[in-house]
Amino acid sequence: MDYLLSLVVSGVVIGSLYGMIAMGFAMIYRATGLVNFAQGEVMMLTAYIAYSFQVDLGLGFAAAVVATLVSAVVIGILLERIFIRPMLGEPVFSRVLVTIGLAVVIRSLVIMAWGAEAQPFPAPFAGNVVRIGSIAVYASQLFVVVTLVVLGVASWLFFKFTRFGIAMRATANRESTALLMGINVVRLYSMAWGMSAFFAAFAGLSFCLMFSVEPDMSHMGLRAFPASILGGLDSVTGSSMAGVIIGVVENLAGGYLGRGLKEIAGFILIVVVLMVRPYGLFGQREIERV
Amino acid sequence: MLAIANLQVIYDDAIEAVRDVSLSVEKGRIVALLGSNGAGKSTILKALSGVLYSEHGEIRSGSILYDGEDCTNQPPFQIVRKGLIQVPEGRQLFDQLTVEENLIVGGYSGSWRKTRAHLADVYDLFPEIKPHRNRISGYLSGGQQQMVAVGRALMGEPRMLLLDEPSLGLAPLVIKQIFEKIDHLRKELGLSVLLVEQNARLALSIADYGYIVERGRVVLDGAADRLLANDDVREFYLGIQREGERRSMRDVKHYKRRKRWLL
Ligand SMILES: Nc1ncnc2c1ncn2[C@@H]1O[C@H](COP(=O)(O)OP(=O)(O)OP(=O)(O)O)[C@@H](O)[C@H]1O
Ligand SMILES: [Mg+2]
Repeated sequence: MDYLLSLVVSGVVIGSLYGMIAMGFAMIYRATGLVNFAQGEVMMLTAYIAYSFQVDLGLGFAAAVVATLVSAVVIGILLERIFIRPMLGEPVFSRVLVTIGLAVVIRSLVIMAWGAEAQPFPAPFAGNVVRIGSIAVYASQLFVVVTLVVLGVASWLFFKFTRFGIAMRATANRESTALLMGINVVRLYSMAWGMSAFFAAFAGLSFCLMFSVEPDMSHMGLRAFPASILGGLDSVTGSSMAGVIIGVVENLAGGYLGRGLKEIAGFILIVVVLMVRPYGLFGQREIERV
Repeated sequence: MLAIANLQVIYDDAIEAVRDVSLSVEKGRIVALLGSNGAGKSTILKALSGVLYSEHGEIRSGSILYDGEDCTNQPPFQIVRKGLIQVPEGRQLFDQLTVEENLIVGGYSGSWRKTRAHLADVYDLFPEIKPHRNRISGYLSGGQQQMVAVGRALMGEPRMLLLDEPSLGLAPLVIKQIFEKIDHLRKELGLSVLLVEQNARLALSIADYGYIVERGRVVLDGAADRLLANDDVREFYLGIQREGERRSMRDVKHYKRRKRWLL
């Protein structure tokens, strides 16, 4: 029983991290129809920025978090402006290739600037142990889970109740009509990149609090990809929940069926789910009515 | 209020969809734009809304003056802000969104406060859609969808409405109802309308003036009652036969229209 519980708890924690990354994937996919394969690298970059804000500039933890989030949004918007917008109107395949190139470039720049070694991330509270009933977790782990819940709820409210959020869904639904309604679609794309980087920054901070800053953290991007697919790729809120599901399934598979299965359990799960629900758990299905 | 002069539109650098079209719409008027399939009617409206680029089309020559300002090649969101708003052919609702969300997007370029007020106005105008406000719009009937499409355009405070075949696929009763509302808005708010229709009789019954387009050119224009009385219009667009064998539109000599320069 204890073994099961601990597997589930650590699955929820790592799944929350997947969820944040997957939300970033979904944000860009939903708004622009593009899978941003540099999502993990954007997360790594923002984590290093958070590191430098604390270690090199001497900011306190809270101030560093705020500064990192702001920088992340700016970085997201700049990436779109510089690398993605010039490709507007090109085939999707070429645009996706650009994001893969972007991943390589960011990775090299980060290693050039900060080095390839893992660094300990300064986190004042991360090691504190918090007890919830019979479960004991690190404060950093609690931070990750709470952050995901807050982001998940916030994104749901955003898409449901704000005009900008509704406009984003409308544009994803039918872009040609969105233009006729006076939506500045280009600006909306750039905001989507900004918001996606915002999620990436939370993911980066979460990773660093639990582990350390290291270039290899960008691999989390691919690990989290099944969560996006499971969520339906276009559902930001759904991706947050799907992340937790993948995290738990991976951990249970690793714990009971053998370590080798842990890595691929997520992928097996999405294959099974997609056979039953081609639009993922939370994705939009086409409306067939003329 | 709106004056198009010698408009030429090309798709894909090759297909000349609109060759030479000049037309004007005065404030508070309903002007019908008639013509058969592929005449170029929708293309003219897309040029007005500035969305040709999204279909690889472009305005090659000519000008669009709206309120005395040149609108040629302005981004669509700026054209919407000027009050030139289109209801596209086939309604094109955001079918995954609810009725109310569709309307909210229609008011996107204004403030939230205005959007709230206009929501009430639209539900007053089309009480039929109010009970469905929280339903996914894709599941509504065709008539209800058209009401949502018109209501959505009204949310943006149009001063001129571009209606692309609003009667398409609807029952006569629903068409009548929608046209009555449009006429009402024209009288009440001084709304101007450019109405694209294939159903000439229907359009000319509400319009003040009409243009007939064939193969990207205006071939005839005139006051609605004069067009309704015109023999050729009666034959080709209203399906009223006259004696003698059927001719093709191209053979009709006097359609070769005198060049008219607006501006
Ligand atoms: N996106 C496009 N790319 C290439 N050609 C196009 C495109 N859209 C329209 N055309 C062509 O331009 C011409 C005019 O089309 P348009 O849609 O304006 O006609 P229409 O008068 O609205 O016809 P309908 O009554 O059938 O709606 C047609 O020959 C059509 O094939
Ligand atoms: Mg048309």
